[in-house]
Amino acid sequence: MQFVITAGSELPIYRQLMRQIRDAIAGGRLRPGDRLTSQRELAQQLVIAPLTVKKAYDELEREGLIRTERGRGTFVAVAASPLDPTQQRQRLQDPVRQLLSRARLAGVSFAEVISLLEEVRAELQSERESREVPQNDGSEGV
Amino acid sequence: MTIVDFQDVHRAYTRDADVLAGVTFSIEPRQVVGLLGKNGAGKTTLLRIAMGMIEPQQGSVEVFGVDPRHEPMQVKRQIGYVSEEQILPPYLRVDQIIALHKGLFPTWDDDLARSMIERFATPGRQKIKTLSKGQARQVALLCAVAHRPGLLILDEPAGGLDPAARREFLETSIQLLNESGTTILFSSHYMTDVERLADRIVMLHEGRILIDTELDDLRENYSLALVQPDGRVSRERLLALDACLGVRERSDSLHAVFELEPARVEEVLHRELGVGNARCTRIALEEMFIELAGGQG
Repeated sequence: MQFVITAGSELPIYRQLMRQIRDAIAGGRLRPGDRLTSQRELAQQLVIAPLTVKKAYDELEREGLIRTERGRGTFVAVAASPLDPTQQRQRLQDPVRQLLSRARLAGVSFAEVISLLEEVRAELQSERESREVPQNDGSEGV
Repeated sequence: MTIVDFQDVHRAYTRDADVLAGVTFSIEPRQVVGLLGKNGAGKTTLLRIAMGMIEPQQGSVEVFGVDPRHEPMQVKRQIGYVSEEQILPPYLRVDQIIALHKGLFPTWDDDLARSMIERFATPGRQKIKTLSKGQARQVALLCAVAHRPGLLILDEPAGGLDPAARREFLETSIQLLNESGTTILFSSHYMTDVERLADRIVMLHEGRILIDTELDDLRENYSLALVQPDGRVSRERLLALDACLGVRERSDSLHAVFELEPARVEEVLHRELGVGNARCTRIALEEMFIELAGGQG
């Protein structure tokens, strides 16, 4: 798994890493049970502080996306997430709020935002299909 | 155990001109602290005080629980030190310098030294004076870390190096963090290096601490507001706001740094000053440095 880190971005490095791992899981490039590069190795590879990698992994583990097995390594979680739906919604509120206020500033209407969401969703879905990940029935998740 | 503890450290070189005017902070094991500040902010003085090379005139410093001036050997054996100004004896060969340091440190790790020499590809029989700046700094780093110090003090370690040599230097530091969990206190003007290596930053300004925070908090909880000056808004009125850390006057706007996230800054500006058109954004470390170092007068 290759990640790209940009120092000097307004997004903290651990968040850049979290986002890329999350995207890789959502897009099917990382599948349930896949093993992630070890924290030390990734720190060396990306030339970032080991604590930063640890922070990203810890957060993702808290979100239920990955899990660490002592002595074996870190893996993409099989079950979706142990977080309850209320917590999940809360986590999504910030990015949604940001998206909507950005849209407002840019003069993009709510209807346009909705259609943009649908477009991106379709893109993600076709990315997933092209990797032949088993489909869900569309009733849960994006 | 606290690794470094600065308590109200004062130091002046000439009367009435404090280089350090009361600096207090401590560093816990495994922390990587980036020391920032303009030239003359007191960074080098503070690092030299930690090394026991100079003494504070007021206040105290403890390294590994002891005063470095009273127990110089005990402290120095646990520290690795590299500075931009450090000069290695020019007529000695690389292997002679390494042997010299090995003799000084009982905890010298031959395997680590050997692996670093191999990576640097610097022939041991070469004289120091024939090395490039980057190679010489790498040898200095090797000498500073091969005894696996508990604390690494780096004063502008990448100063004057090209980007490739700087990256090498970072890679070696990260290898050490990985293998030994070394505590690091370093000063640097390269903000991207600071972002890669540090988990906490301490910014000095005119001998005092302006900011002491986790690096990630800095980017998540601080913001920059661009405000048009008019009857309601002035530098003074912005500085009077609670969370405002500094204001820099530009030709057509005021740049204000706040210890709040952008949305909250918009609220505060609207509520307190009736400003509705401020642009508030998160701020990267380099911009933060420029705004604060330049906005303090």
